[in-house]
Amino acid sequence: MLQDYPKAIVTPDGISILLRPVVESDEEALRVFFSKIPEREQWFLREKLTDHELLHKWLQRLNFDSIIPIVALREDDGTIIANLRLYRSAAESMRHVAHLRVMVLPEYRHHKIGSWMILDCVKLAMDLGIEKVIAEFINGMEEPAIRAAHRLDFRQEAVLPNYVKDREGKYHDLLIMVRSLQREWSDF
Amino acid sequence: MERFLTSFSESEGGWHSDGRTLVLATPRGEVTVRTKCPPGSFGNLRMEDGLGHFAHYSSIIKTVGAFEEIASRKQSIVTMALAESNLIAGYCVCWYPAADERWSALGELMYEMAAIEVSRNYRGADLAGIMLGNTLQYDFFEDKIAYMVGFSWHWDLEGTGLNPAQYRQKMMRLYGRFGFREVYTNEPNIALRVENVMMIRVGSRVSAEDQLRFRHLRFGIKRP
Repeated sequence: MLQDYPKAIVTPDGISILLRPVVESDEEALRVFFSKIPEREQWFLREKLTDHELLHKWLQRLNFDSIIPIVALREDDGTIIANLRLYRSAAESMRHVAHLRVMVLPEYRHHKIGSWMILDCVKLAMDLGIEKVIAEFINGMEEPAIRAAHRLDFRQEAVLPNYVKDREGKYHDLLIMVRSLQREWSDF
Repeated sequence: MERFLTSFSESEGGWHSDGRTLVLATPRGEVTVRTKCPPGSFGNLRMEDGLGHFAHYSSIIKTVGAFEEIASRKQSIVTMALAESNLIAGYCVCWYPAADERWSALGELMYEMAAIEVSRNYRGADLAGIMLGNTLQYDFFEDKIAYMVGFSWHWDLEGTGLNPAQYRQKMMRLYGRFGFREVYTNEPNIALRVENVMMIRVGSRVSAEDQLRFRHLRFGIKRP
């Protein structure tokens, strides 16, 4: 599964990007990455990886059985420009389901890098035998990612109204989108 | 179990002169695998019943005559798995990409593993692996980027009982044994479904510059 990494993509303006799993030595590059995420978006992080100590511990405890973190980095200078995490539950009843979170630096958001990372994640999930990939997006704040998910056949399964609160105390809906992976031949 | 017979030489000294023949014992009896079958060697062959048209699946190559045409193309390779001396139980064909395909922009650097198929009645004996492995043994491949594209609408999901994700893994395991790895591309047909797959094997003499040209071409960017 992971032996085919790094995987190369090229943006429309010719920048070579490599996708690969996170390694411990990525700590400094990840610190820089998270420091460039706008503060209003940092607010919504489930894990405060913007905190150096927490990031360090997170990297030390990485267990690919429960989290597969993939980074996108520029091939020319090694800058991490996007980060995706695929979460799997330890519970047998939920091993067929995985949750994804993706984050792209603002200056790279119109290069389809998020789309390629989601596609990569879906293929990886498929090869791991996962049956459903679930993505959660904050309505009104993550529109490019929502559009990318739609293009990759994620379907909106639920909306949790006023579920997320931003820094100013304003509520936002949470969209739950699901991509089914284990289609049968009769679906064709 | 397999045993090699001698190379055959219907067209001595030419592209087809180093074709190989080996005989395999399978649960259905002996099967002969021949690489680089030359034009003119298909006349008395016929397709085994497990190849052809089914309710949800059709063979990519449906007539024996098609092999004759493929074998006549420049540096194409037709590898056959034959039962009872004239029954086609499987085949593997490869060629240079057609002029209207994106990959032809890199000329003879690119070489397509175009189709591999084993009859429903002869599956489970690793005929696909043996045909592929023997096809790829030629030094010719060290100057090529050999590629395969797997489109889920061509797969015999009904016959194998697999779903597209499982079939995709089966394909990847098969080609992975011979040094192929998955790469990404925005080529529209491949990108149409996530199950679809493009895999490549980069020959040992392919330059870094050619590899970079191919990488850009995968995303529709042409470099000098």
